[in-house]
Amino acid sequence: MRRTLLLWLCLTVAPVLAHEHMTMAQEPPLGATAAFDAHGRLWLVDAGDGHVRLRHSDDLGKTFSAPVPVNAAPEPIYAEGENRPKLAFGPQGEIYVSWSQPRARPWTGFVRFARSLDGGAHFTAPVTVHHDRAEITHRFDALAVDSSGRVVLAWVDKRDQVAAEAAGKPYLGAAVYYTWSSDRGAHFEPERALAQHSCECCRIALARTPQGGVAAFFRAVYGDNIRDHAYAVLRTDGGTSHAERATYSGWHIAGCPHHGPGLAIGNDGTRHAVWYEASGKPTIWYGQLQPGQRAAHAQAIASAGASHADIAVHGTTVWIAWNQVDAQGDALMLRHSDDGGLHFGPPRALANSTAAVGSPQLLLHDGHAYAAWNTASGFRLLPVGDAP
Amino acid sequence: MKRWLALLLLMPAIAAAGSLKPLAAADVSALLAPPAHGERLIALWALDCAYCEPNLQALAQLQQAHPAAIELVTVATDDIANLDAIEKRLQAAGMAAFPARAYADATPERLNYLIDPDWGGETPRVLVIRSDGSRDGFSGELTAKQLQTLGPKP
Repeated sequence: MRRTLLLWLCLTVAPVLAHEHMTMAQEPPLGATAAFDAHGRLWLVDAGDGHVRLRHSDDLGKTFSAPVPVNAAPEPIYAEGENRPKLAFGPQGEIYVSWSQPRARPWTGFVRFARSLDGGAHFTAPVTVHHDRAEITHRFDALAVDSSGRVVLAWVDKRDQVAAEAAGKPYLGAAVYYTWSSDRGAHFEPERALAQHSCECCRIALARTPQGGVAAFFRAVYGDNIRDHAYAVLRTDGGTSHAERATYSGWHIAGCPHHGPGLAIGNDGTRHAVWYEASGKPTIWYGQLQPGQRAAHAQAIASAGASHADIAVHGTTVWIAWNQVDAQGDALMLRHSDDGGLHFGPPRALANSTAAVGSPQLLLHDGHAYAAWNTASGFRLLPVGDAP
Repeated sequence: MKRWLALLLLMPAIAAAGSLKPLAAADVSALLAPPAHGERLIALWALDCAYCEPNLQALAQLQQAHPAAIELVTVATDDIANLDAIEKRLQAAGMAAFPARAYADATPERLNYLIDPDWGGETPRVLVIRSDGSRDGFSGELTAKQLQTLGPKP
């Protein structure tokens, strides 16, 4: 009898254990983007059950509206690690959302886009923004709107790597491609290459320039797998964009850093940047980019255990936020500078989490800075200080 | 009796999980403990890393050349919830014969840190743990020269 009982228990409990593994996979991933619109309303996009979901908050993230599905029909969505759905606003209150959609084969994806012209109540059916439909990498999308309202999208694209491989030629890394829409996201221009030999697995940082255009800062491959970073303004006037090397850390790695940079451009044109490298000890660096040469005022911001930094600037105040992990869990860390990035104060912890965390984001509204932190125990918006 | 019952209850779950076993924070110290002799190579890899599978295969070749001196363990940094995808990829790479683990912790970055505080999560990453207690870490696909230095000292 006892033996029969044991056998029965084995047969019935095992599927329960297996089922627990299944449900673990369905917990929503932590890739999310938060942004303030022109009126100070906070918006948040994340992904769950095959939908990109949009919510808004009028009390600085304490409570959120019910989520609106951006894509009505479910589809696979990259929303982990360096991938997260993106969110940006047009000058007339348009809401633009982009994400990367995994395809069947490993490392492949399509860049998807949808827009709402009625304040987020309804979204158009999502479109794939690139004309190339090969089942290859088009992912790690980045989204921005320029001062003329053009919707600009950049992503990591492997078409040139695939072509080189087919021709039996060596090709390191991937490429960065971009496109834009001049009609509020109704149509996108045929995509064009921004730079060859980018890193394959790192997010692209976009920021608006004082001239009103959009600039990109991204990890690139130099020589034999030196993974430094490049800077380029994404031209939308028919001219050719030129990416220039902007960091010289010399980190050699034939692998995936899973670690893209951050960029914020001041009104005076100073290109404040943060990036990660591990040529020695893992380090997050701050520097002011001078494309073609080493960054000015470069300084180490954080070391071992630090990851996924973001940066924001308002006047002469510069903030840097990052995740710092140790044996106890993650901390959301902050350093700030009151003199335009020449000197940074000591690091301080804004929050701690023993649950899984996404990459932090720094948001600005009306001279106030906030850190957005999506954790498995909930989304948090933390004030980090005001510009003087 | 109770212990037997617990063991018996777990057996089908272990069998159902194939060769892939979870790696939780509590398992890290055993994984990092120096082997009785020779060395253990801990090959950290990720599903989203095209450099990782060739690296695993190179390490497998090295292990097969020194089966008595090298122990090879693969560790996927993806959550074990991706069990099917991880096992399929290991199988396709000819790695199914090696002990395999996958992350099983609410905070993967914490596991990275516990395994190697000087590692930022880039993949592939190989950790060498020798019987004398010494350790080394290598990021990126290993060069032929690095592979040579990884082998047991004559």
